[in-house]
Amino acid sequence: MENLYKPFKVKIAKVEKHSNDVKLFRLEKNLSFNPGQFILVSHFGYGEAPFGIASSPYQDSYIDIVVRRVGTLTKALHKLEPGDEIFMRGPYGNGFPLDFISGKDIVMVTGGCGIPPIAALIEYIIANKDKFGRVYLIYGAKTPNDLLMKDNFKRWGKDIKILLTVDEPDKNWKGYKGMVSELVDEIKIDAKDAVSVMCGPGPMMDVLEKILRPLGIPDRRIFVNMERKMQCGIGKCQHCVTGDKYVCEDGPVFNFDEVDKNWD
Amino acid sequence: MDLIIEKKQIKDWLAELKKENVVIDSKKDALPIKQYFFPPKQEIFIFNKETKELESPDYKKEIIIICHHLGQLEAMTQLDEIMGKPNPDFFYWQRREKSILIGLIDESVEVAPGGDLVLEKINSKQYRVLILTEKGKKIIKNKFFKEIDKPEIKNYLSEENPFKEMLLDSELLADAVKWSKNHKIWDKLAKKCLGCGICTYVCPLCHCFSIDDRVVLDDKECIRCRQWDACTLPNFAKIAGGHNFHKTIKERYYNWFYHKFVRAYKEYGKAQCVACGNCKRNCPAGINIGDVLKEIVEDYKKHGKSI
Repeated sequence: MENLYKPFKVKIAKVEKHSNDVKLFRLEKNLSFNPGQFILVSHFGYGEAPFGIASSPYQDSYIDIVVRRVGTLTKALHKLEPGDEIFMRGPYGNGFPLDFISGKDIVMVTGGCGIPPIAALIEYIIANKDKFGRVYLIYGAKTPNDLLMKDNFKRWGKDIKILLTVDEPDKNWKGYKGMVSELVDEIKIDAKDAVSVMCGPGPMMDVLEKILRPLGIPDRRIFVNMERKMQCGIGKCQHCVTGDKYVCEDGPVFNFDEVDKNWD
Repeated sequence: MDLIIEKKQIKDWLAELKKENVVIDSKKDALPIKQYFFPPKQEIFIFNKETKELESPDYKKEIIIICHHLGQLEAMTQLDEIMGKPNPDFFYWQRREKSILIGLIDESVEVAPGGDLVLEKINSKQYRVLILTEKGKKIIKNKFFKEIDKPEIKNYLSEENPFKEMLLDSELLADAVKWSKNHKIWDKLAKKCLGCGICTYVCPLCHCFSIDDRVVLDDKECIRCRQWDACTLPNFAKIAGGHNFHKTIKERYYNWFYHKFVRAYKEYGKAQCVACGNCKRNCPAGINIGDVLKEIVEDYKKHGKSI
């Protein structure tokens, strides 16, 4: 019987500092995955935790994860350097519904550390741009320094429209302030044939009220990538439940109207 | 023809089994028999910090477990299903596959709910053998068992258990518990429950766990352990950074019920409860889960459809 809990070794190829407390780790691994899926990363002695994959699903020599220094494991990961080895298992979960969203206009919304799975989806969309309509990314953060994966914005910007917004702008800031309704005016989509993709835990309800509802995108065409505590990744340990679903197995991507009714 | 063992010979048979096997009688166990396949704390991986290699401890011990409650046997059938589908739990099956489960039951058995072999009391001197699996068949091929034509069969009724009756309609329980989210009973229970988690530890079906690493004192090895967790404990749904998806005892207690009676019904078509009463007997706050369910179901029948 296969031991589904057993992680395998991967080498860190590169570490990039993305903000005061966020680093990107490039892991040497050829992994088949769907944008929106996650992996469980282990650093023995410090534990194991889930991370969304941020790199392109077409990239066959590495995967990227983006790690905010927030707990025991992430603190330990931040001390590692290229050449160091860690462990991982996965990919897990369903990923974004690529067939459903193809052919449609897309509004992606995320905040702060929610960008990794969205980044993987952007890479997929760009690689298949003929299959998609108009594509927007609304990306918010607390301050301009908290925006992650900034080096990609220029390249992404050739194929998709990026709208940046921060809560606390500095004097050089040229984007928006807060999740404001003005953002709606920038978005030109055919609401009848558009989907939205969100990755929380950011200002999800705010986005819904101020942007997605005014745009006319119904809840059933909004997909959310959810975050929960996870231990097993295979639907056994019960930590990641929401309502009748396991985020690890049934998600992490859900129809918004499916999870909206959940009591937790 | 029925296969029979004399009551006074059971001891000798077990003694014979003990010569070549580890035989555990679970009669006096405080914890349910899940503990033998899903131990309260278990080392699952050892990482050698010098060689950087990962090992999983091998498990070779074969055990025979004697179980005295039909509820426990039923729970094991359910737990096998939970740990089997859709992703098999390696560490559970590593032990479970090497085990033989014998039910030694002092009441009449209508349908054997699980185990490899069930010995059912049929009169004051004899037990009838019910073989459920090949593994069970193997251990009765000896002089202690004999075929008898028309043995005396008496009826030994189990204790009356209204809670057990309620479980027969697990669809109703699922609907009622789902409906009860805003019922005042959860506020009452939140005040009463100490959040100690004992109900989940003594439950033959609860199977929450967490996985943690510890470093050996000489710093040469890291050991990854899996241990029982309880969804009623404060940090169960808390993530790094501090956000807690089940902040209050009320949410956590409801989640426990929601899992057992609503989510379990959707996943497996039955409640994850066998009405064994372990939770009630061990609750330091005196919460009676059967009574809680009864109240919810009665109110649901009265008001459910109108709210």
